[in-house]
Amino acid sequence: MTYFKLSMRNAGRQARDYLVYFVTMVLAAALIFAFNALAVSGEVLALTEILENFSLIIVLASVAVVCVFGWLAAYSTRFMLSRRSRELGIYLLSGLTGRQVARLFFLENLAVGAVALVLGAGLGGLLYQVMRAIVMAMFAQPYRFALEFSLAALGRTALCFALIYLFALGRSRRHIRRMKIYDLIYFERQNEGAILQKGKTRRLVFGMSLVLGAVGTCLLMRKSLYIAPAGAFCAILALFGFFLSFASGVPAFFERRPARKYRGQTLLVFRGLTAKLASMGVLMAVLSIVFTATLISEGSSSVLYGIMKGRTAEATCFDLYIGIEGETPDPGPYLTYIGKNIPVEQERPYPVYLTGKTQVQDHLGKMYYNYSCDSDPVLCWSDYAALRAIAGYPAVEPPGPGQFPIHSMTYLEEALRDYQGTILVGETALTPGGIYTEHLSQSYGTANGRGYILVVPDQAAEGLPVHHIAYAAKTARPVTTAQYEAVADLARAERDRQEDPSGYVFVLSKAYEETEVAAQAVVGCFPLYYLALALMMTAVTILTIRQLSETEHYRSQFALLRKLGMDRREMARTLGRQFALYYTLPTVPAVLIAGSFIVHLAMMPEPGVMVGWNSPAVIVMISLGAFFLIYAIYILLAYISLKRNVLASAR
Amino acid sequence: MLQVQNIEKYYGSKNNVTKALNRVSFDVADGEFLVIMGASGSGKTTLLNCISTIDTVSAGKILMDGEDVAGLSEDALAKFRRERLGFVFQDFNLLDTLTVEENIGLALSLNHADAQTVQNRVREVAEKLGITEILSKFPYQVSGGQKQRTACARAIVAGQSLLLADEPTGALDSKASKNLLEIISTMNRDMRTTILMVTHDAYSASYAGRVLFLKDGRVFNELLRGDRGRSVFYHEILDVLAALGGDVSDVL
Repeated sequence: MTYFKLSMRNAGRQARDYLVYFVTMVLAAALIFAFNALAVSGEVLALTEILENFSLIIVLASVAVVCVFGWLAAYSTRFMLSRRSRELGIYLLSGLTGRQVARLFFLENLAVGAVALVLGAGLGGLLYQVMRAIVMAMFAQPYRFALEFSLAALGRTALCFALIYLFALGRSRRHIRRMKIYDLIYFERQNEGAILQKGKTRRLVFGMSLVLGAVGTCLLMRKSLYIAPAGAFCAILALFGFFLSFASGVPAFFERRPARKYRGQTLLVFRGLTAKLASMGVLMAVLSIVFTATLISEGSSSVLYGIMKGRTAEATCFDLYIGIEGETPDPGPYLTYIGKNIPVEQERPYPVYLTGKTQVQDHLGKMYYNYSCDSDPVLCWSDYAALRAIAGYPAVEPPGPGQFPIHSMTYLEEALRDYQGTILVGETALTPGGIYTEHLSQSYGTANGRGYILVVPDQAAEGLPVHHIAYAAKTARPVTTAQYEAVADLARAERDRQEDPSGYVFVLSKAYEETEVAAQAVVGCFPLYYLALALMMTAVTILTIRQLSETEHYRSQFALLRKLGMDRREMARTLGRQFALYYTLPTVPAVLIAGSFIVHLAMMPEPGVMVGWNSPAVIVMISLGAFFLIYAIYILLAYISLKRNVLASAR
Repeated sequence: MLQVQNIEKYYGSKNNVTKALNRVSFDVADGEFLVIMGASGSGKTTLLNCISTIDTVSAGKILMDGEDVAGLSEDALAKFRRERLGFVFQDFNLLDTLTVEENIGLALSLNHADAQTVQNRVREVAEKLGITEILSKFPYQVSGGQKQRTACARAIVAGQSLLLADEPTGALDSKASKNLLEIISTMNRDMRTTILMVTHDAYSASYAGRVLFLKDGRVFNELLRGDRGRSVFYHEILDVLAALGGDVSDVL
């Protein structure tokens, strides 16, 4: 038996005993590999110039991810050390030096890490294909499965893993060498006690933690980068205070209420929980902070994507849109360029008028966001009908005599339905005649109104002041970046030519905007999800390791309960309740803090952007859904394992 | 071989000191079988831990062949444990990933003994202890008595001269206990292994040549077996134990 053989055998046992940790490390390697493979993929980087920094951003995200998984590895090896301290003590007593034992442990963990790296890289290859398919779909490019293996990604993953393990094993090596043989052999006799013993202190800390939590959440929701860190600090303090006082406060709560203590399985459930929490208060607080960070990362990522999608959806209803404002708005140069260079199926240059009155604007009042028109904007019916055809919307019946339909963004729809007043357009009096809410480029100053536009008969619009000239087209092929840039250059030249360049030209190309959004989503959201997944997996793995490490304790406890006459169904229920409470506790503050933060964040953009699938409620639901889906997988695996080991033996 | 000189061991903090050992002194001769007895909390395991270098003394000296074990460097201490000390615990402390054979030969092989020497030594010791047939089994596949014999084999396989045993029969039934005690006696008698055993069981102690009684961290009494039979010695031990339940003046 050599060091190597013994280390390998111990490595095998470690992978079995701490399967959850091993699986997480495999997934960690897969995650690091997949994201890095994406970041170095020539195919992906060639999609647009905006992705040129993607590789650097993934490197930076990988640094954060290495720190997160490094913490997991350090915590888990330290935990394994404590659980196997007696075994290490025996090695020392058998005549091995601390150095030799440390080397043995080092080799064992290195072997586990190497296997996780190999398996993870293989799995990462598949994950990369999934992510590649997602990216290609985002860029509306065809995806073809191709067996490819990125050596650069493997190199990066190996480097990350080396850092993760060297950090963790360096710490455990120092720890082993410092530990005395007595501490190792009699480690199990060392007690862990509640940190806050005095009831008065406990109540004070508990009360303060609730206040700090509320203050921290409020500060986090302020729109200030300077105040947010103070909010985060308060929230962190609140979590520590809560878990330290909660863990030691529950026994006191039940001591004062013996009737509740002996009701049903409360005694078993609360004793089991507090025994664990008494020694895990600080850890629970840290895990709750990690869960909060996970949800905030996930939610911020969804909000970011929602903002981009929301804004783009409104801006990309036409293949090409130009809004020309200024002293002498002239679509001539643009039309000339387009005529020569961009094949067009349908097009329409048209004016956007103003009524000169603010009746509808006044009705909308505070709801109306940052208007840039001096009065209610107007389109004439024939232009509107043409625009609908260009955008590919079904044709609508012309309004009845004396009526004006409104085309608006969805967020104004309800308020506009309440508008029943008569408007005077020139000499014509018109009453409301229905609302349409498809996207119609309505979120910019030189667009089809800002949020809404009144559609009036052509005759009524004659003689109205023109706010700007617009142009919308359906092109035969998507507008290329070069074509878009050329039109944008014309706009810049027009602007420079003006004496008072207060008005501006707005150029929107569906293809360009969608590419930009896809690129921004890849650059901004992917790293956030990468980090969120790493945080999530780390925290839930630590929770599960702690839970499963007590299998033996549970087994003997339930065997005893069985002997005392406890029904198997009741035992399963008790175990389930203990389990549910244990896993629920650290997520409650996380959901409250992060949920409020995400809702607030999602409400920050201008109205009309975060609607439908991007609405704050949906984003919170999706963030929580994704979070609890992964959480549930770990919980389910842990529960099945514990139930099988604990209840099966208690026959 | 072993000299324990005025050793003291304190636990706890400044305001709450527990004196586990209080000026304990005795010698152990080469090839002797010494048992330390006492009630729970009398300090017998602490004493054994101090001698085995698992724990350190607060005051006094422990000399092995004239050398103070407290003054040994990390490497020298490891060598001392490897070559001179064997330890048997009440709960066996075998490594469950290793077979019986590997458990016995572990320390030898990790210290670079060649494979043939390891195998030969393991077989030799296993034969003496009657566990040859279970060498290829894992600890969970063998009985408690066999596990403890494996632990004994591990404790002497490298030619260790001092075997320290902490309640070695504590987890065994009476038949396995008797079997193990016979083996320990044989190791002492035929292999000249010096044995220092801690127990609270008078029957186990009756196998020894000398019994030291500890009470409240001090040596309370000493019994020598001499030429007397084990049965007589056993009753003498019981008498001292009966007195041990009272005050020192009941015995002196």
